[in-house]
Amino acid sequence: MPVDDADQIDAAVRAVLRDVLALDDARVAQFREATPLFGALPELDSMAVAGVLTELEDRLGILIEDDEVDGEMLETFGALLTFARQKALL
Amino acid sequence: MIIDSYAWRDGREAMLRFGPAEGPVTIIALPLFEEANRTRTFAVTLCRALARLGIGSAIPDLPGQGESLVPSEDATILGMQEAYAIAAEQLTGDGRVCFGVGIRSGALLDALGLLAGRWHFAPQGGPDLLRELTRIKQAELGPAVRLGDAWYLDGSPPAEAVDPAVEIAGNRLSPDLLTELTVKQPFDQSGNPRRIVRLSSDQKPADRKVDAAPLWRRAEPGDDPALAALLAEDIAQWIASCGG
Repeated sequence: MPVDDADQIDAAVRAVLRDVLALDDARVAQFREATPLFGALPELDSMAVAGVLTELEDRLGILIEDDEVDGEMLETFGALLTFARQKALL
Repeated sequence: MIIDSYAWRDGREAMLRFGPAEGPVTIIALPLFEEANRTRTFAVTLCRALARLGIGSAIPDLPGQGESLVPSEDATILGMQEAYAIAAEQLTGDGRVCFGVGIRSGALLDALGLLAGRWHFAPQGGPDLLRELTRIKQAELGPAVRLGDAWYLDGSPPAEAVDPAVEIAGNRLSPDLLTELTVKQPFDQSGNPRRIVRLSSDQKPADRKVDAAPLWRRAEPGDDPALAALLAEDIAQWIASCGG
């Protein structure tokens, strides 16, 4: 089933962070746009960054080019969500 | 569980065996590299669930992986495929029918085995794995460095010289292996039974989708006995449908 509306994308991004970073549902449910990710979550190491990107690709049916990935996109939950929306809703 | 072993071209590797000593047997290929550590406990749970359904199984260590004494940087996909085939041959030596079970990139390793069929869970193709390894390396290096295509090749003369191993997330890997990944896909030829099961969250096509979390993403090795039981039943039914 293609993921093509904003609520589904929000849910998918939270689920990716939950699954890759081994966070519980309650914690990811509390994420807001300004919630810091990279640098604030010790679980988000280089392997986890790759895991988040690949899982987003698999779950949203998108392709993320390496030159689209920068530190800012993983800085906050809101930045990651905006990126995912832009890719999935094109 | 018993700890068996098998002899391949250049040495001997351990092979865990589970379940009955007769009847159909599955040979399990774990994913390559770090994902193997994250799924090994789950694979053992799967083997135990298969045993309860009367199906034997084996998890061979492949050269350069797991507890193998072969250095990881000497591993090649072809070498692992050859060793896997020899391990499968040992299992079928006493007349048992052998089925391949590949988890993630483990689905790349069963191509040379004389198998009655292949069952692949969330299979990952070589180019996708290489992309992910490149991503991990890129994240390790930070944005100041941009890795291009074939970044793992040394490029310094003489051209025929062996390129040095590269380190990705603590694993030393040979550029030859990374080059192999650019072309390796799970074995899929008509006339050879193959079944693909994926997680519901995965958009790629599959014969069946199951609701579960991807254990191979978790830094801490986890387990999922309910998923193992579900997959064991799927494997058992599929083996029965293949006449095993």
